[in-house]
Amino acid sequence: MVPVEWYLLLAAGLFCIGLFGVLTRRDALYFLMSVELMMNAANVNFVAFALYYGDLTGQVFALFVIALAAAEVAVGIGIILVLYRNFGDIDVTVPAEMRW
Amino acid sequence: MSNDGASGRLLPALAVTGLFAVLAATALSAGFGEATGFPADASVVHNVGYALFNLEEVASIPSEGFLAAFLIVAVALDVAVDGAIYLARREDDGSVVAAIGEALTDGGER
Amino acid sequence: MFDVYVPTVVLLPFVSFLVALGAGQYLPKRGALSGIAATGGSLLLSLLIAASVAGGQAYNETLYVWAAGEQFTLTFGALIDPLSALMLVIVSLVALLVHVFSLGYMNDEGEVGLPRYYAGLGLFTASMLGFVVADNLLMAFMFFELVGLCSYLLIGFHFREPGPPSAAKKAFLVTRFGDYFFLVGVVAVFATFGTAAFAGEGSFPALAEAALAGSTTVWTPGDLEVQTWFTVVGLLVLGGVVGKSAQFPLHTWLPDAMEGPTPVSALIHAATMVAAGVYLVARMYGFYALTPTTLAVIAFVGGFTALFAATMGVVKDELKQVLAYSTISQYGYMMLALGAGGYVAAVFHLTTHAFFKALLFLGAGSVIIAMHHNENMWDMGGLRSRLPVTYYTFLAGSLALAGIFPFAGFWSKDEVLYEALVHGLNDPLLLGGYVMGLLAVPVTAFYTFRMVFLTFHGEPRSETARSPESVRWNVKGPLSVLGTLAVVTGFINMVPVQKVLGLEGIDYLHRWLDNEWGGIAGLSSHHYAEVGPYSSAYLVGGEAGTVLVGAAVSLGLALTGLGVAWRLYDVPTPTEHTAALGGIKAVLYNNYYLDELQVWLAYRIEDIAGGADTVDQGIIDGVVNGVSSVSLAGGSRVRRIQTGLVSEYAAMLTLGLLALLVVLGLNGGWFL
Repeated sequence: MVPVEWYLLLAAGLFCIGLFGVLTRRDALYFLMSVELMMNAANVNFVAFALYYGDLTGQVFALFVIALAAAEVAVGIGIILVLYRNFGDIDVTVPAEMRW
Repeated sequence: MSNDGASGRLLPALAVTGLFAVLAATALSAGFGEATGFPADASVVHNVGYALFNLEEVASIPSEGFLAAFLIVAVALDVAVDGAIYLARREDDGSVVAAIGEALTDGGER
Repeated sequence: MFDVYVPTVVLLPFVSFLVALGAGQYLPKRGALSGIAATGGSLLLSLLIAASVAGGQAYNETLYVWAAGEQFTLTFGALIDPLSALMLVIVSLVALLVHVFSLGYMNDEGEVGLPRYYAGLGLFTASMLGFVVADNLLMAFMFFELVGLCSYLLIGFHFREPGPPSAAKKAFLVTRFGDYFFLVGVVAVFATFGTAAFAGEGSFPALAEAALAGSTTVWTPGDLEVQTWFTVVGLLVLGGVVGKSAQFPLHTWLPDAMEGPTPVSALIHAATMVAAGVYLVARMYGFYALTPTTLAVIAFVGGFTALFAATMGVVKDELKQVLAYSTISQYGYMMLALGAGGYVAAVFHLTTHAFFKALLFLGAGSVIIAMHHNENMWDMGGLRSRLPVTYYTFLAGSLALAGIFPFAGFWSKDEVLYEALVHGLNDPLLLGGYVMGLLAVPVTAFYTFRMVFLTFHGEPRSETARSPESVRWNVKGPLSVLGTLAVVTGFINMVPVQKVLGLEGIDYLHRWLDNEWGGIAGLSSHHYAEVGPYSSAYLVGGEAGTVLVGAAVSLGLALTGLGVAWRLYDVPTPTEHTAALGGIKAVLYNNYYLDELQVWLAYRIEDIAGGADTVDQGIIDGVVNGVSSVSLAGGSRVRRIQTGLVSEYAAMLTLGLLALLVVLGLNGGWFL
């Protein structure tokens, strides 16, 4: 059996890569993809601990996370659409109205 | 795909690397024992189904009941689809979504 | 009985103040009658109080405690002893006569704003009476300031003209300058003795005496010697006295104060308010007698002022100006007497001066009414046949002022000079004061009779003088009363007669102030003589001989001055002989340029104040503004974190999370 620490490292790595994408990407769709990646890192964590504790709660919870991620992407794409209509570009650095 | 220059990515890179280091250090220094796996002959997928529908009696792998969450997520998905359609819709005269449009002072006409 | 009478004496004029203020415009005489009634009532009560003191009673009680602290209590109280009883009678009598005179001077002349005038007179009378009966220094200070306020209000009565408000402001500021030192002195008295009471076992003169004898200790700042510190305190209080009694160098306000109505000049600037300073020193004499240096200063300043003001009175053209400088000079005599250890002489001169100077001012008021408010003496002349009552009473007052036998001023001035001589034979500084006082005698007689001859004798020099307006009973009545007093008041203390003829017991004022009939222990003249630093020395012939010599010399000098004035001015058409003085006349006429000097000093102090203002605005306000500007600048820098870019917000979140995890991990031992 694979030691649980490796799964945790994998999840941490995925999370950090996703975080890097959130911090760096200018295109809104790539931004959403990076957010997806972070959520999947959490899923890996859930499943790893489900195996560690021998309790299926983790896996079921991961299922729900996937479902909600899909919902979130749907809404997110709607938001990107409105963003495009208002600012003419899906670059996330363009809307900077709420600043000092 | 638009990129910043390398200098604009230094700080995020450092932050992210630091975070990974902390998480890794925490995970590795925590003493985990042997993992309790699942019973060899149990079907995980079947048991996931039993958990979703609160059928713990017939489950061979222990879990919580997730029926309420299941139904709520169904509702949430429904709401999400409706929201997405609403955001994407245009008015008859071609202007964008009314509520969002009214939130901006110029009605979104840019 | 006293605790009803004494507050009533003070409060009756205050009631008339309120009546005039509130209802004056509806009354027929605009508040005069209530003022007359009030001062008449105060006079009656003052006479009753004096009779009680003569019957052996005295009064020294605290009537109201208005602030009780741990170290000292602040009170209002009353002190009735021979001195204050005498002063009460003087003040209320002169106030009554001035109120009656005002009917003629103000009401009959059709002045406007009379409720304000009578309100001011009422408040002044109440404040002055309150000052007289004060039993502690702080209460005296408060009433001192109140009379200064009333003086300001009354001098500036005709405030729509340019002169009076400026004069009122000058009077207030100059006296206030002196009162600043007085206030410091009051605080010093409290700090040193813990009490400011004038009389009784725990009064500050008694404590001071005990401290000098070594039987108690009092607080002194630093390691100052007790005697030195007492001198300093005495000099501080003297600041207020010098200002209020118009002594050099704070005398400049009194001539300008003549801008006020003449009854005001008579009441305030002749008989009562300027007497407040001298009265204060007399009240505190048990303390002043312990400090020879202060006494010497008082005597020298007094003698100097007597001569100095008399020289300025010689060249003046306006009637009231001559009288103003005469007032300054005569108060110099009183200060000379106090400084020379002549407590009774000073009070005697205070009494006689109150009467004859008020008489002279009211007489001048009568002349001014007659001359339709033209005060220039060179436009007058020949008024003696046209205003007989005024002339004879004015003459009586002038003879008293000049010190001619047997009028009141002779006896009192002579005693002042006698005391200065007798104590000065052992003390050169006093002798200097005596010489200056003696030199002022002929000058006084000269300017007084110059005034009389120019005003009343000779041929009329203008149309108004030929047919002057006549005056009524409300003018002539007070003049007659005061004229009689100017003649007879001297007889209450005929010390020369007593000493020369050996008639014991006719020096009534001496006996009165020596607590012979009644009084408070420690406040008698023999007590002051005991603690005072002076000893008497006599010329040829012992005491009687010295008295005779002194009286003869001063009378001779006075008659000389009178004679010179008679030769020069008692002619049908007098000329301006003072022009013969040449350049000196310009100096005297401009009051030795002291007014200009004081204005120059005020401007220099304004420059210093500018420096203080810069410190206040630049440094103190600058620090406060600096603190706020640091906050504002910091805020405007920090807010640039909000760039509006979501990615940067996420970056900040990440960094925060990272920091938090590191801190928690290190504390919680995750990594070890």
